[in-house]
Amino acid sequence: MNRYFYIDAEGKQKGTFSPDELRQEIVKPETLVWTQGMEQWKRADEVAELSFLFSGSAVAHETEQSVEVLQSQSNRPATPYGSHPPQPMPKTWLVESILVTILPFILCSSFLSLLGIIGIVYASQVESFFNRGDYAASAEASRSAAKWIKIALWIAIGWVLLIVITIILLFVFVGSVAGIGELLNT
Amino acid sequence: MNRSIKIGIIAATNILLVTAFIFFFLFDPDTHSLFPKCPFLLATGFECPGCGSQRAIHHLLHLNIMGALKQNTFMVLALPYIFLGIYLEYLGGKRRFPRLEKIFFGRWSAVVVLSVIVAFWIGRNLF
Repeated sequence: MNRYFYIDAEGKQKGTFSPDELRQEIVKPETLVWTQGMEQWKRADEVAELSFLFSGSAVAHETEQSVEVLQSQSNRPATPYGSHPPQPMPKTWLVESILVTILPFILCSSFLSLLGIIGIVYASQVESFFNRGDYAASAEASRSAAKWIKIALWIAIGWVLLIVITIILLFVFVGSVAGIGELLNT
Repeated sequence: MNRSIKIGIIAATNILLVTAFIFFFLFDPDTHSLFPKCPFLLATGFECPGCGSQRAIHHLLHLNIMGALKQNTFMVLALPYIFLGIYLEYLGGKRRFPRLEKIFFGRWSAVVVLSVIVAFWIGRNLF
């Protein structure tokens, strides 16, 4: 009998549980599960050994209680990927990258869009590396995308502050010279 | 991140946004010199893909959609897309509509968005 990890509703990895113990957990048909020997996380209802969780009849599995001793007793299973067990796909940052590419145009800071494009490049790598099974590279690309987006974000904050300060200075300056009223009428 | 810091950031962003909208509503960027100017336009004399979007926002806030479209067609049409992205990523839309995200914010949509921006950029300076 295999021991399973699953991803809970908040995206956290939990485990390990035997199929019987999984009945105590909140495992739905669409919950992602993983056990040794599986290449990818799968929906729980696609795993034959777990189908009894959703059929209602749990009798068949009660008899074989020979709990397997895991090679690694730690929280992480030994995997074919060495030190990187299959994970749910890292955050791609694609939405943020696209927004960072479009939004700067509104505030006349089109130079920030270049950072957004760098973000898009890394963000799309996250998915393609992940699909190829290269989880380390996928996580690395995710980190790079996050880094560029954060750089863009900080520059944007600085830029907005600069605009705000300029406007305030203009108000004070023009206000003291000509009076706010005249400014409003121009 | 600390919870109170998070709330502070959200509050600051909202205050800034509301102030910006009031500002854009009250003043027409066409007639006031308060608004930031496009460095690309100043440097090259060509309009960038975003030029006119502040005027467009001013018109939109006055419910003048035709005027807004005339100032910057791309940005006005991109607004629903931007809101969709924010909704999907930050307001829980991703879990409810995972397929929407795949379609509108997948790898190919990024290519489409970039192509549209470049096409609009070239087009608006030609015609």
